[in-house]
Amino acid sequence: MDFRPSPAQRLLVSTARDFLQHHCPIELVQRLVLDERGFDEALWRSMAELGWPGLLIPSALGGSGGSLVDVVLLVEEMGRACLPGPFVTSAVAATAVLLAAASKAQQKRLLPALAAGERIATLALVEESASFDPGAVALECDAPGRVTGRKLFVKDAHVADDLIVLVRGPGDLSLVLLPADRTGIVRLPLDTASGERLFEVTFDGVEVRADDLLGPAGRGRELLAPALRAGALARTAEMVGAAQRVLELAVEHAKTRVQGGRPIGGYQAIQHACADLVRDVDASRGLLYAAAWKVAEGDSAEADVAMAKAYASEACLRVARRGHQIFGAISYCEEHPLHLFHERIQAASLDFGDAGLQLETVARALGLA
Amino acid sequence: MDFTLTAEEEGFAEGVRRFLRDHPPERFPIDGMDAGYGSGAHSRAFLQALAGQGWLAMCWPKAHGGEARPMFFKLVLMEEMARAGAPFGPLAGCWQTADAIIGFGTERLRREVLPEIARGEATFWQGYSEPDAGSDLLALKTQARRDGDHWVIRGHKIWSSHAGISRYGLVFARTSHQARRSRGFSMFVVPNRTPGMDIRPIRSLTGEVYHYEVFLDDVRVPENLMLGPEGEGFLALLNGLDADRFWGRFYKAPALERVLHQLVDYANATVVRGGPLARDAAVRRRLAEMAADIAALRLMFYRAACLLRDGGPVTYETAVAKVMADETGQKLARLGMDLLGLWGPLREGSRWAKLGGQISRVYLTSLGHTIAGGTAEILRTAVAVRGLGLPAEPKGR
Repeated sequence: MDFRPSPAQRLLVSTARDFLQHHCPIELVQRLVLDERGFDEALWRSMAELGWPGLLIPSALGGSGGSLVDVVLLVEEMGRACLPGPFVTSAVAATAVLLAAASKAQQKRLLPALAAGERIATLALVEESASFDPGAVALECDAPGRVTGRKLFVKDAHVADDLIVLVRGPGDLSLVLLPADRTGIVRLPLDTASGERLFEVTFDGVEVRADDLLGPAGRGRELLAPALRAGALARTAEMVGAAQRVLELAVEHAKTRVQGGRPIGGYQAIQHACADLVRDVDASRGLLYAAAWKVAEGDSAEADVAMAKAYASEACLRVARRGHQIFGAISYCEEHPLHLFHERIQAASLDFGDAGLQLETVARALGLA
Repeated sequence: MDFTLTAEEEGFAEGVRRFLRDHPPERFPIDGMDAGYGSGAHSRAFLQALAGQGWLAMCWPKAHGGEARPMFFKLVLMEEMARAGAPFGPLAGCWQTADAIIGFGTERLRREVLPEIARGEATFWQGYSEPDAGSDLLALKTQARRDGDHWVIRGHKIWSSHAGISRYGLVFARTSHQARRSRGFSMFVVPNRTPGMDIRPIRSLTGEVYHYEVFLDDVRVPENLMLGPEGEGFLALLNGLDADRFWGRFYKAPALERVLHQLVDYANATVVRGGPLARDAAVRRRLAEMAADIAALRLMFYRAACLLRDGGPVTYETAVAKVMADETGQKLARLGMDLLGLWGPLREGSRWAKLGGQISRVYLTSLGHTIAGGTAEILRTAVAVRGLGLPAEPKGR
């Protein structure tokens, strides 16, 4: 039993923390949230120079062949900085789909470009059921054939070159890979309170070719599963990192804000709130690391991942709400950073399966009828 | 990172599971109440069976009759026993006392008391709290004055678990008035039935006896039964309290897991409105949430265990883990009572009692857990002050 990252992982973490401190200060996050595109290309290119988008991609395809534990540690730092952008969508989840489902030729065409940060891919999974349960997918499509219908809650579609679409084909679910600019595809932004860039993507008689299929037709459910787990873990890491930052900000505030002649952190009411933040962050991180480690060791660890995400969703949101209470009125302002972390945690808790969906996985693993 | 046990630890776990299969825990006679911490009842017979395996002293240095096994073997043993519902109630206290004796005990304590612990004969009660010294432990009034090569102890201790059936008390008393408030305290290992000692049971809310109060009326104790340096007992005790929080709660997660599985079986087997209770969305969700809470709790303790093993700094980790253990237990107990509804309060032995009538006991005993061994409030304050560096509240005097 050992909770410590390896020396190489510690280096990854400290590099990431340094880089994000300099290149992704909270002012930049503020600006990007208010910006219509919400995407900083220069920042994305610098991240690509560090090799981050290729972290999960084997070195033969231009990446660095890292593990999910590496990804989780890096994304935790991204959460700590509240870094906006398509990293988890493209470099974790979409990349995981391509690694699991794409043919050699598709991998050779796409993965080196994804690793270099020159292409961005996103996942179009959810529909009006608003559920990440693949069983809820209704959009019908044959390959070859044409597809008409819509997907919702597609993250970062506006900067994506490729859409990985989960469809219902003959047999069962299938995955197809469509260029985002194919005729008949329209991306319509949804206005969110979270600062996340989410889109409705409509398909109007869009041509789907036989070689757009990712993996065999009808195997979408199993081919997608590892990507859903990787996405859930990465989003959990983002929540843990963001909650860690809320904890640090709140403690700093409690030490410096003076009321009644002493720092508010000298009152037990605030001390006990801060102690609960520590519990929530530490406990979330423990489940996260253990689940990521199991997956990296080749275990599907379905229930572990589900527990990690469900737990962090509750606990990290609690941290965010408690954080507002500790900060008081100032944290109600748009220019104060706290709401950015809160909204990020909120958004991450819903992505790749909310607590309800994750807990259903846990319930089945527990043996509940 | 690595979230598995080593091959040696796993092999030992298998040995413990085999022992527990061959010696079903429910067959051992019980001497004292199970207070729900996860370590079961006080059973000297069970402790002696563990002693027979050589497991009580396995982690002590060879010079003290041990086998110098790594600390994680203790965790493995406790986890397997808690999963099986075995009655090892006093074990954590025995191990802590043994560690203190090995660390700074007198020759007599090492010669006499250590072997009794290794044989499963000696168990200990803690004489810390007093009627007017609970969370404010340093307000204690029990005094020990020197008389030749003896100390004479006078005072009144309370909330001492299993005191009436233990062999020794660990009595914390003031030995000097000159010193600063946190100095001048010492710890004594006092044999039960020493003249002047009056141990009276306190009936707890379950109707059974767990706590005792102890009146010490000029109890004479030889000086070589003092544990640790004179006047510095508080520092020794503080380490003890940190260890107490860890070792006194480490087995909570596997014990709660055992209760959770009983509730899952109950929910599967119970029909409500024509279907299994397990299909009720709220029940499903709450049971699944508990599974995640318990898994998180287990990892909190293992993380603290790794820090203790590797000699890393431990400032708040055991305190936060203890609070979490106790509150998670209360949450599970509450869920259990909810699921059982009207059946819940039916006691063990009653007609119609479900799950052996144990859930109401789990519920009632859990109320004491956020009070005993440092209240949840005291511990949260410790996390904030020692762990996060927030300024301590000014003292009231």
